[in-house]
Amino acid sequence: MAERRVKVESEVGLHARPAALFVGAAAKAGGDVTVAKGDGSPVSAKSILAVMSLDVRHGDEIVINAESEELLDELAAIANAG
Amino acid sequence: MLSVLSPVSGTAVGLSEVPDPVFAQGMVGPGTAILPRNGRQEAVAPIAGRVAKLHAHAFVVVGEGGRGVLVHLGIDTVKLNGEGFERLVDEGADVEAGQPLIRWDPAEVAAKGMATVVPVVALDAGHDVISRAVAGEVEKGSQLFQWA
Repeated sequence: MAERRVKVESEVGLHARPAALFVGAAAKAGGDVTVAKGDGSPVSAKSILAVMSLDVRHGDEIVINAESEELLDELAAIANAG
Repeated sequence: MLSVLSPVSGTAVGLSEVPDPVFAQGMVGPGTAILPRNGRQEAVAPIAGRVAKLHAHAFVVVGEGGRGVLVHLGIDTVKLNGEGFERLVDEGADVEAGQPLIRWDPAEVAAKGMATVVPVVALDAGHDVISRAVAGEVEKGSQLFQWA
């Protein structure tokens, strides 16, 4: 497993649109993918309900765990777009 | 079978009419969208359950079996920072299906140059679990679709 801490630069945080893109990318990947807000409990990054319930706002730090650095790159890019 | 009610009165047009590809392509989840009638009005809970997320312009109600329904009042309305929206319950509240949650006026959203269409989406659901989606005129509180 690989871990990445990312400061979310998306203007609206991980709200509806970025959350859908984030979960869409995570769901395509094999293995567990989790995301946590700061040092909070990780949730499945493959569940849009779970990700939206984290209530990640612009400027929050998230911690993503996944099996590959490539996926972490992709998820970090989504969290910082828009 | 979970009956999902329409949160607003208007015309059910389907998600493909939403001017946001993430909704239109069903990436948020399956469901439909409603063009709301203008005028100050109350958006109601589509199912009974807990208000898991309450923004001024959007909410998620999680009901039986942990099934969550997202209602988004207009597109890009997060940018209004709550202006023109009045929350009628608190996040975390237990609500009945059909209970008013947010007061708003689609005409105000349109005046700001934003789409007023209201996506109603089943979260974490497969696309084959939604049935009997209403098309055309729909009244708030009446059945919009069924979630198997």
